[in-house]
Amino acid sequence: MKYHLISLGCQMNLSDTERVKTVLHQMGYTATENEQAADILGIIACSVRQKAIDKVYSRIALWNKMKNRKSLITFVSGCVLPADKEKFLKLFDLVFSMSELPHFPDMIRQYGVVTPASLIQAEVADIQENKAVEQNDFSALKPHNLTSARAEKIRLNPSAEMDRFWNVEPTYTSDFEAFIPIQNGCDKFCTFCAVPYTRGREVSRPSDEILAELKMLVAKGFKSITLLGQNVNSYGLDKKDQELSFPQLLRAIGEFGKESKSDFWLYFTSPHPRDMTDEVIAVISQYPVLAKQIHLPLQSGDDGVLLRMNRKHSMEKYRHIVQTIRQLIPEATLFTDIIVGFTGETDEQFENTKLAMQEFRYNMAYIAQYSVRPGAASSRWADDVPKETKKARYHALTAELMKYSHEYNKTLIGKRMRVLVRARDRKDGYLSALTEGKLVIRFASNDFSLIGQFTEVEITSASPLSLEAKLCAVKSETVVA
Amino acid sequence: MMNSDFDSLHQVLSLRMLTPTAYVLRVERKGLEFKAGQHLLLGRNGSIESREYSVYSTESDDFFEVLVKEVDDGLVSKQLKQLKAGDKVKLDGPLGFFTLEPETIANGKFLFIATGTGISPFHSMVKSYPGLNYRLLHGVRYSNEAYDRQDYEPSRYILCTTGDQGGDFYGRVTDFLRKNPVLKDTHCFLCGNFNMIHEAFEILEQQGVPSSQVHAEVYF
Repeated sequence: MKYHLISLGCQMNLSDTERVKTVLHQMGYTATENEQAADILGIIACSVRQKAIDKVYSRIALWNKMKNRKSLITFVSGCVLPADKEKFLKLFDLVFSMSELPHFPDMIRQYGVVTPASLIQAEVADIQENKAVEQNDFSALKPHNLTSARAEKIRLNPSAEMDRFWNVEPTYTSDFEAFIPIQNGCDKFCTFCAVPYTRGREVSRPSDEILAELKMLVAKGFKSITLLGQNVNSYGLDKKDQELSFPQLLRAIGEFGKESKSDFWLYFTSPHPRDMTDEVIAVISQYPVLAKQIHLPLQSGDDGVLLRMNRKHSMEKYRHIVQTIRQLIPEATLFTDIIVGFTGETDEQFENTKLAMQEFRYNMAYIAQYSVRPGAASSRWADDVPKETKKARYHALTAELMKYSHEYNKTLIGKRMRVLVRARDRKDGYLSALTEGKLVIRFASNDFSLIGQFTEVEITSASPLSLEAKLCAVKSETVVA
Repeated sequence: MMNSDFDSLHQVLSLRMLTPTAYVLRVERKGLEFKAGQHLLLGRNGSIESREYSVYSTESDDFFEVLVKEVDDGLVSKQLKQLKAGDKVKLDGPLGFFTLEPETIANGKFLFIATGTGISPFHSMVKSYPGLNYRLLHGVRYSNEAYDRQDYEPSRYILCTTGDQGGDFYGRVTDFLRKNPVLKDTHCFLCGNFNMIHEAFEILEQQGVPSSQVHAEVYF
């Protein structure tokens, strides 16, 4: 029995996909890259752009044609707007939200598909569930063993549903880099974004689970771990003092790194400037395992545009955050996201974004030309900045980015830096690596055993968005507690 | 507080018409925490569609009210208008950060600028905090859209109309703002359509109000 899974969109979706794979593996399915050979075909959808949703429609049209030749099951999950969900119900066999993933095996069973794994699981599940339901202890229910009859009976709240989803152990796609979802959903309602309508309200994952997953990954030798959430630094706010705050969570991880003398870099993405406190920055500055790289979405450098984007912070607030970072963590690299050509953006307002680029001197900026996100509030407004203008602003801002990142990179020439080797580079005879600040580096080496390891290099030359280096130390073994 | 699917259904308590197209829908609150200025996601029970509505009622009321204007090509506003006491709506929230800073409530000077049903959060703020030092500019087309005008102190409420001369000022709220500059230490809250917010923000900026003192909730 084989499955073929397509994952569209962001890191959150990639992380969700890792959990979907686990559930499929536990049902006895194996992955195939060939969709013709699959018995189950699934898509983890993304609603950020219409293009991504169009892909789902074209895929399911093809898969439904394949059904004329063989028996197969199709499913869709991920970020789906309510209107699309209704249409998908008529096209896919199964449509479920990610929080319903623990019920997925039962959904499959209802299609009459019996796998050896699902049979055993169903029996064990019955016994465990009977006991848990009798004792009114829903937390004791394991993620992938809830049968539908009881699922109907036990209407768990979204927070409990997400807890069960997070309990599904992911099938990691790397053995040295991993994502840990710590929060799902968004309460911010930025006018350009549909996430609050596709993923629902902010729900924080219990910190003991996050710490347990982190410690397990570190023990397995993972070197780069990223905490994930739509608004990662609003972690804990939904639990109203019943859970650690985001800086407390970071501190707990920092303390673990210190006490265990573990060797890893901990990142987080994406934070929202509104919830970026001085305390978060101070904690990052205090612990070596908390990577000195901060991704701080700007979106626009103009207060008027920020207001219309419903970003809930001013440039003054943003400026304060950057100043605090520069003061407490001068070595930190700074990344951002920017949208150019948002509805109503004037030349003057764009110039303010350019000025912000000069002021903050980002190491990396993910610049997007505004496009209407179906379902987002701004989709009801005229997309009134001409395409050509957006393109010109995109290029102008990219040129600014390159200028400042190049200037920064040149200051690194001759320095020795610790890097995490990630893969073979596209250039033959080279390996590709990242610094702690996520700067891209390549160096000449054919020693593939370095992949997944920390090593030391000396920077030899600099380009706007990457660096070249030479290897200057043998790989260092990770100290695991 | 999060709701389960079951808990997210709230009973309709009443529907009060203010004009032929605008109405106040009152639903159960079920003890949910709420700060004046926050909004709800509301939809008819069984429908996949929902919309954001700022809460109209006060922090101390044991129900939620929202002020809804039936939109010609709208879906949810029409569906909600058909509801009767005892029907159910699905409700998510309250949500949002368009709220007053607690330390400013006692001594702060506030300017509220609204168009149409954008007056909702300000109705909630004014009624939740008696003694608030505010001025409310309400822009509408016709003077009969001065929703529950009696709930505001007459000296603090300025109705700006563009379709008739029955208001306190004939013209847009932004015209009024240009003619009546704002003191720089005023906390300005804007709620309403996109164009008003865009324009009002620029005027306030020109008048020297720091952008950190300007807050907006954008309708469309």
